This record gives sequence, structure tokens and C-alpha cells, in this order.
Amino acid sequence: MNPGNPQENSGANQPADSRVFVVVRAYNEAPVIRDVVASLCNHFDHIVVVDDGSTDATAACLHGLKVTLISHAVNLGGGAALQTGITYALSKGADWILTFDADGQHAIDDALTLLKSLQSGNCDVVFGSRFLGSAVNMPKTRALLLIAARWFSNLTSGIRLTDTHNGLRGFNRKAASLLTIQQNDMAYASEILHQLKQGNMTIREIPVTIKYTEYSRRKGQASSNAITILIDLITGRLIR
Amino acid sequence: MNFRYLLLISLGTFFIYVLLLPKHAMIRKFFVLCFVSGMLIFALNPDWSTEIANYFGIVRGVDFLFYLSNLALFFIAFVNYLKFKKMEIRFAKLVRRVAMDHAVEMKT
Repeated sequence: MNPGNPQENSGANQPADSRVFVVVRAYNEAPVIRDVVASLCNHFDHIVVVDDGSTDATAACLHGLKVTLISHAVNLGGGAALQTGITYALSKGADWILTFDADGQHAIDDALTLLKSLQSGNCDVVFGSRFLGSAVNMPKTRALLLIAARWFSNLTSGIRLTDTHNGLRGFNRKAASLLTIQQNDMAYASEILHQLKQGNMTIREIPVTIKYTEYSRRKGQASSNAITILIDLITGRLIR
Repeated sequence: MNFRYLLLISLGTFFIYVLLLPKHAMIRKFFVLCFVSGMLIFALNPDWSTEIANYFGIVRGVDFLFYLSNLALFFIAFVNYLKFKKMEIRFAKLVRRVAMDHAVEMKT
């Protein structure tokens, strides 16, 4: 999929629900952010873009779109940006919160399916899973890293998921209110699972499609960061 | 011999400084005082370190002190890392508060 056209995979417009907030965290995503957010605007009333201290024109690219822009003065990391978006959405009365990556990897259809599943009331949290669905052009090293991360997260959180590090997630208000993400960087994915488990939340997974592009591969985490994430998680438990 | 006096004076000064610190964090203060006292004792009686080292299966006292110092440095680095992480969390809260206060609702 062209990163600039994430709507390629989307179906007909769905009625927007005023209690649904979509949180998009962005750091230096100027080349793709406008198309990603514009396609979200066709389906959702409330889009919260958290600009995590971008040094490019990410914020300027959103001009003319009906979104709420929250700008971190400095770059804090994915976890911190996500918490900012969730906190803001809760403060505005959100009943359902979706998180959506800004790099164009996710499909709108998947977000809508995820929301439907969440609103059915059978669960508190819905995670997208590329291992139940498909991952187009995923590098083998990334797949191995994700499997290792999944193994570690499942082991430490006690929750069994097939894709623990998928950016497409949905929370109902109860689950979102539980989250107090302290891991500013990418270790937050495991931290979220731990907190959801502590709160006895019901979690479901649905198959989604993740499309890796040259752009998204360049933006992704370096494999060497796995060690840093591991240290952050261990020290994070000590700080609590 | 002169270096030994220098070491003793430095350790003695540090001991008094720690002793005079405010009463908060008593446990930390106790451990630091124990550590400095140990260093003072070993500086005055170097042979004792060898005796203790032998007890732990280490031949030379100086090796024992070297290992001990390494452990102490690692502990200090670890405690400082935890402090840094805590500060990072507080910093994130501050940045978040400011960002949310200045949230912009853009219109088409």
C-alpha cells in the first residue's frame, strides 16, 4: 500500500460516533501524516494527534483537517505520547479510544472492525494482530523480534496474545482509565499488558493487516533497542 | 606512606560529612557510614583485608577491596539510574500538562 494512501483498503464511510476518539501519535511523520489523518477524519469525529516534539512539518501538515493537535515541547517517546492522547480523550468524555499509527501501516477497515468488536461489549480491550491476519512485506528480522517480544510480554504479563506490539488497539473507557503509562519509550507495550492484567480487563484479538513500506521500515525500531526495552521494563517494575 | 595519610584524611572528612547530613534517609546514611568505616579500618590495618579475603576464598586483600568497590560503584550507578528514570516520569508529566493546556482544536 502506498503510505500516502492508507484509505486504499477502506470500505464505505461508516457513521461517526461522537464518543469514539482516535489517538494518533506522531514523531516526524510529515511525509505521510496528512493522508493518514485525512482518511481517519472520514470515519471518526474526534481525532487526537499527539505531535511528540517533531522537528519536521508534522503539525503544519494537519492544517485544514478537523483534528485536535497536542504538541509535546520535546520528544518523549511513543509511550508518553500515547498516554497524553488517552488522557486528553478521557478528559473530553471518550467512551471508546482507538490508537492508530501515523506511518500508514494500518488499514481503516481494521480500525472499524476493531471498534465494532469493542462496542459489542464482550471485552474491554481489543488488540489488532498481524499474526492472526497478515503482515505484508514484513522483514524477517522484524518478525523474529516481534515473536521474541511477544514471548517476553506474555511471560511477564500473564496474558497470552499473538501480537503484543501492534499499534492498532481499542480500549473502552474503563480500560483506558486504568492506564498510567510510565515507560516513555517502546517498552510501554508490555507495560500496558501488565496494567490491563492487574485491572482484570477482558482482552480480545482480531486479525488485522499491517503493510510495511519502505517508509515504515525506515521509521521502525532498531533491533538493538530490544535490550534497552528489556532494561526499561525491569527498572520500571522497581520504580513502581 | 603519605598517600595513606591522604586517604585517611579524605575518608575521615567524608565520614564526618555523612554524619552531619540531615536525618532523612537514615538507612542510606547507615550503609554509607558502614562502607566508609570499613574503608577507614582497612586503610589503618591493611592486613585485615587479606584475612577477610581469605575467608571468602580470595587470596589478596587488595583484590577483595577491588571487587567490593566494583559492587559499590555498580550499586551507586543503579540507584542513580532509578533516580533518573523517576525524574524522566515527572518530566513527562510536566510536558504532558503543558501540551494538554495548549491543545489546539483545528477546524476544516
